[in-house]
Amino acid sequence: MGIKGLSQVIADHAPSAIKVQEIKAFFGRKVAIDASMCLYQFLIAIRQDGSQMQSEDGETTSHLMGMFYRTIRMIDNGIKPVYVFDGKPPDMKSGELEKRTERRAEAEKALTEAKEKGDAKEAEKFERRLVKVTKQQNEEVKQLLGLMGIPVVEAPCEAEAQCANLVKAGKVYGTATEDMDALTFGSCVLLRHLLAPEAKKIPIKEFHLARVLEEMQLTEEQFIDLCILLGCDYCGTIRGIGPKKAVELIKQHKNIETVLENIDQTKYPPPADWPYKRARELFHAPEVMRGDEVELTWKEPDVEGIVKFMCGEKNFSEDRIRSAMARMQKSRNAGTQGRIDSFFTVSSQVKCVTVAKRKAQEEAEKMKKGGKKSGPPKKKAK
Amino acid sequence: MFEAKLANSGLLKKIVESIKDLVTDAPFDCSETAMSLQAMDSSHVALVSLKLEVGLFDTYRCDRTINLGLSLANMSKALKCANNDDTCMLKYEENEGDSIIFTFADPKRDKTQDVTVKMMDIDSEHLGIPEQDYAVVCEMPAAEFQKTCKDLATFSDSLNITATKAGIVFTGRGDIGSSVVTYSPSSNTDDESEAVTLEVKEPVNVNFSIKYMNQFTKATALSDRVRLSLCNDVPVVVEYPIEENGFLRFYLAPKIDDEENME
Repeated sequence: MGIKGLSQVIADHAPSAIKVQEIKAFFGRKVAIDASMCLYQFLIAIRQDGSQMQSEDGETTSHLMGMFYRTIRMIDNGIKPVYVFDGKPPDMKSGELEKRTERRAEAEKALTEAKEKGDAKEAEKFERRLVKVTKQQNEEVKQLLGLMGIPVVEAPCEAEAQCANLVKAGKVYGTATEDMDALTFGSCVLLRHLLAPEAKKIPIKEFHLARVLEEMQLTEEQFIDLCILLGCDYCGTIRGIGPKKAVELIKQHKNIETVLENIDQTKYPPPADWPYKRARELFHAPEVMRGDEVELTWKEPDVEGIVKFMCGEKNFSEDRIRSAMARMQKSRNAGTQGRIDSFFTVSSQVKCVTVAKRKAQEEAEKMKKGGKKSGPPKKKAK
Repeated sequence: MFEAKLANSGLLKKIVESIKDLVTDAPFDCSETAMSLQAMDSSHVALVSLKLEVGLFDTYRCDRTINLGLSLANMSKALKCANNDDTCMLKYEENEGDSIIFTFADPKRDKTQDVTVKMMDIDSEHLGIPEQDYAVVCEMPAAEFQKTCKDLATFSDSLNITATKAGIVFTGRGDIGSSVVTYSPSSNTDDESEAVTLEVKEPVNVNFSIKYMNQFTKATALSDRVRLSLCNDVPVVVEYPIEENGFLRFYLAPKIDDEENME
């Protein structure tokens, strides 16, 4: 899922591109959320006694519960969410999807084995791996969001790509997802852990693409090539080239073509018929609706409709739903506080670096260079 | 190196006390002509802009432009050591580690006290503030504005300001009741420092968070007068002039009632 090891690469090479924030720092921001990914997380994480929440008819309700409360939590904090749903997967993802199907089959086998042995803990582990968001669950969530007055965007293809496009068009501030490839798709800002449960108190990590590029001294094209080398959902990678080497190679050779010319391909064999060019194209110009043509409106929630749906059909407690709705209404009516940085634009970065910090940085710089010497990729003998 | 001396520690004390609850760490930009600071509060609603020109200092030397990152809480601790009338010397030497030295001197007692404060690593954004032609500019006694904000805060957490040629009205409306303060521009006051002056090019009607206004009015100690510059849908400027040679300005983003995309 996403780009392999990208967040670590950013933390190592462009630490200033990551900001750790509390949820309240995002008030007044519009945020595009990768809905498919968070539904999947809800189905895995929201459980009672190890199994998913269910209505009386035995239908799963974890996804509705998650969507309802986490959305209200965001609105409570002054955030305006937009949910973006996946469309059809791109052709290039078929390889990745096949792998996932294989893994599911394995997990299924392991699950039956564990059940036979009566190992409840193992069984639960594999059961979680088998979780899949059904079409019906997707539809139910869309219905709920519609009743809550939250805008929903149906992406023609990948949700992350659509989110990134909304960010680029200035419709929203950033993309909230756990998949790092939103950055590769060009989302200027990526928020991780925005939908993490409140009780866990996980701060939000904000990644800024512009600062990643600036600090790593890469262009957007070079960054995309780097992500492909690290490992994306759309094609394989060169065996034997890990994150460290990938960064070095791209910095040195600027693009995959030149990298391929310069590495010893017998030692580092690229996949046969490696479709990296198509993957690059997909990141560069993915199939999306044009962000500037998308209309986003946050409507008045339909309280009675929600009560009917959540309590009538899905057996949620009416008191709780009503009090959560009252909270949401209150935050909506409070009038939004403007942000000063939406009136004044950033003109420059101010850095105060103490001597101690500078020394530490120099040390780190030396370490990096030392590391480079020990293992540069061998050039192909001509 | 950077070295600047103020005749009274009290001035710096008042400045730090009035912004330290809003901003925790801030970069002090020291240049040849002035010492200045710009910082947003942690939730990015308000912006503090401070400028202390060379004229405010008894002596001032700054060899090259530097940014000194300081924690305002720590600065406040250092300044608590000084009496208001003590002179205050700020000193920073690049080769002498990561500290700023505050030297407070009491000339009557021939006493000096050196307080060293560690500097901070700061990585912040500097905002460009565009030139703005404000529709309404109102000047009044700083203490008067402080009282008005305090009074309204007991009724509401939101402050509505409307201004027309006839006068400026501050309204706080809440669940328990409301408070409405009206100033008609005074022409008959002899005492200039007590006058409320109002220049209106266009009427305005804007809402702000009163919590922030109350924080700004901590700067009342700095100056007799305060100037409010207003325009619909842009941040208000609350400015406290510092003698003739500087200012402390607060910018506050307005509250937006119905947003375009809200129905």
